[in-house]
Amino acid sequence: MATGGILAAVRRRLFGPPAGRAPQPAREAPADAASLPDEEAASSAMFLMLRRMRAPLIGLITIYAVSVLGLTLIRGVDPQGAPWQMSFFHAFYFMSYTATTIGFGELPHAFNDAQRLWVTLCIYLTVIGWAYAVGTLLGLLQDRGFRQALAVQRFARHVRRIAEPYYVIAGYGQTGRLLGHALDARGRRFVVLDTSELRVDETQLANYRADVPALAADAGNPAHLRLAGLMTQRCAGVFALTDDDHANLAVATATRLLRPDLPVLARCQSRPVSEQLEAIGTHSIVNPFDRFGDYLALAMRAPATFRLMEWMSGLPNSELPPRREPPRGRWIVCGYGRFGREVVRDLEREGIDVTIIDPVEHNAADSRFVSGTGSEADSLERAGIADAAGLVAGTGDDTNNLSIVAAARRRNPGLYVIARQNRQSNAPLYRAIAPEFTAVAAEVVASECLARLTTPLFVRFLDVARSRGDAFVAPLIANLEQHVGRRVPVLWAVHLNRHGAPTIARWLARPDRNLALGDLLRDPAAREQMLPAVALMVVRGDTVTAVPPADFALAPGDHLLMAGRSHARRRLHATLNRELTCNYVLTGRNLPSGWMWQRLAGAPVTGSPPA
Amino acid sequence: MNLEKVVFGFFIVLAATLNFGFFLGGFDNVDHHNIYELYAAVVVNLIATVLKFGDRTQIGAVHLATSLVADLQLIAATVVWAYASGVAGGMSPHLISSVVSLSGGALFANVVSVALLVAETASLSRH
Repeated sequence: MATGGILAAVRRRLFGPPAGRAPQPAREAPADAASLPDEEAASSAMFLMLRRMRAPLIGLITIYAVSVLGLTLIRGVDPQGAPWQMSFFHAFYFMSYTATTIGFGELPHAFNDAQRLWVTLCIYLTVIGWAYAVGTLLGLLQDRGFRQALAVQRFARHVRRIAEPYYVIAGYGQTGRLLGHALDARGRRFVVLDTSELRVDETQLANYRADVPALAADAGNPAHLRLAGLMTQRCAGVFALTDDDHANLAVATATRLLRPDLPVLARCQSRPVSEQLEAIGTHSIVNPFDRFGDYLALAMRAPATFRLMEWMSGLPNSELPPRREPPRGRWIVCGYGRFGREVVRDLEREGIDVTIIDPVEHNAADSRFVSGTGSEADSLERAGIADAAGLVAGTGDDTNNLSIVAAARRRNPGLYVIARQNRQSNAPLYRAIAPEFTAVAAEVVASECLARLTTPLFVRFLDVARSRGDAFVAPLIANLEQHVGRRVPVLWAVHLNRHGAPTIARWLARPDRNLALGDLLRDPAAREQMLPAVALMVVRGDTVTAVPPADFALAPGDHLLMAGRSHARRRLHATLNRELTCNYVLTGRNLPSGWMWQRLAGAPVTGSPPA
Repeated sequence: MNLEKVVFGFFIVLAATLNFGFFLGGFDNVDHHNIYELYAAVVVNLIATVLKFGDRTQIGAVHLATSLVADLQLIAATVVWAYASGVAGGMSPHLISSVVSLSGGALFANVVSVALLVAETASLSRH
């Protein structure tokens, strides 16, 4: 075996294979986000660095050792001509300033030729040693694997630092972004997992109020979910919102198995996957197309209920534009894909006649089908556009949908038009053509997610409203408009227990006291006036009381769903938490705030009952 | 036979033996302690330390810790030696005994290191 071969073997054994060759787990650079180091490897950045620095550091130590030793061995003379040998201290001092190119000169005495010969050699050796060490270090900082390891570490640290409940958003596409902004606006924290590094960078540019830790990683991998803090008590829920149904299924499965108590919400666009999701027990599955069909059917059957739902799930304080009710005549649906099928199914369930325009040849015997794209005059005419009541432009292509809307409107100006918008970037075009309704899958999913995870009571309320129909909802809307105004109210939940409402809990702890809902909602600034807020629902155990009257008697442990202006929420919060405010609101008496005066005036009425 | 293990073991044992060699002799007798031996002990200890970098196991961490302790003690010993010969104007029995006792501390750390090496080897599964 040649000497070179042995040397190479020693090198390989000692310092690992040269970069870019055979794998060694600790330094293997992940090729893509999917093979990102897991939790354990997240702490490996430091080890990786130390491991790679072994060779240059040992090289430096050896070079220094040889140089210093040589200097101490060579005989020199001092200015008086007496023989003189450098001590280790002087030699090390000399090498330190020479090797770092500071160069103080020949200290403590001028060198002779033998010493100069040795020093020349040492200078070149040390420069090479340093260049090697610094080069390796810089190379390491550029290394993809090393930076990935650093990013993972930073992400895990940021997640650990979140002290309040937070959500995990897997998939930061259009839906994830919308949901992220909505959560942020409501002061909720979240972390983001997405396979695309570009989207992860986007979170940093999105101007969120709170810090949003984000990691480019496959959320279906349990290790990555753990990194995102799935196992901590602070994790409040997981949203699986990637555009890949199977990835969402993987996220939901991992979450269900690791944290069965955690709510999981998965977006899903195909029925088979949706069934699988149901089988593993996902809390909510949001199929945007299916959901949209439901909305349309609801808007036809119970316009007021739909209006209420739309109003309540809007952005707080925004004004909802008036909307035309979808007519019940004959409808034309263009595009019979996933979206079209769901819409047609729901329309037909409502007993509506539907004509379908689709380029694919369907059963010729089925008179509902007309072949064509919908944007050409011929197919619209054959579908009977002139006497149709409504049209759904539901193809998967925005340009098609827009031209269908334009063509249809030209032939029937009074048509009720629903257009499906596929890409966020086309939103201005849809605004310009102004269909009666724009169906955006991302928005449907985001608002549904938000309602389900942040105000679960609201979802229950909607179920009640839907089952009771317009006869129940119409007076409620009038009531809300009278008390709260026309703008979108803030929704919040109140739990009448020791944590959610300490003052009320103490007040109700005495058996001789009771509390009417109307009294609780008095304004702490002037109790003759009522707060601009309405209790939509009271849940007591298994009984649900929708829109309780003002004389409804509250009991400890009740859950209230409130809708009102945001200042009403703040004032009610004061009533529920501050002893003196509560006293004033409930009794009209202003109690002194100081301890001394309180003693003199008698303890606050809501004070803790005698044991 | 694993060449990495040979080199690793070689440096650890060499660090301990050099250290022991320097420590051997009269406690306050300068003539019994060679400065070149101390120098070699420092250099070999440093190399042994670097060789222990980047091992993520528990035993690897303890290995590194013992090596760092030995480095610290030996460097302290050399500093005292440099102070004695340069600043204090010659080696006194008091100063040389400080140097030797510091290297004795390092020796202890090196012995722990060797013990770890032996324990690690003994715990390897025999095929």
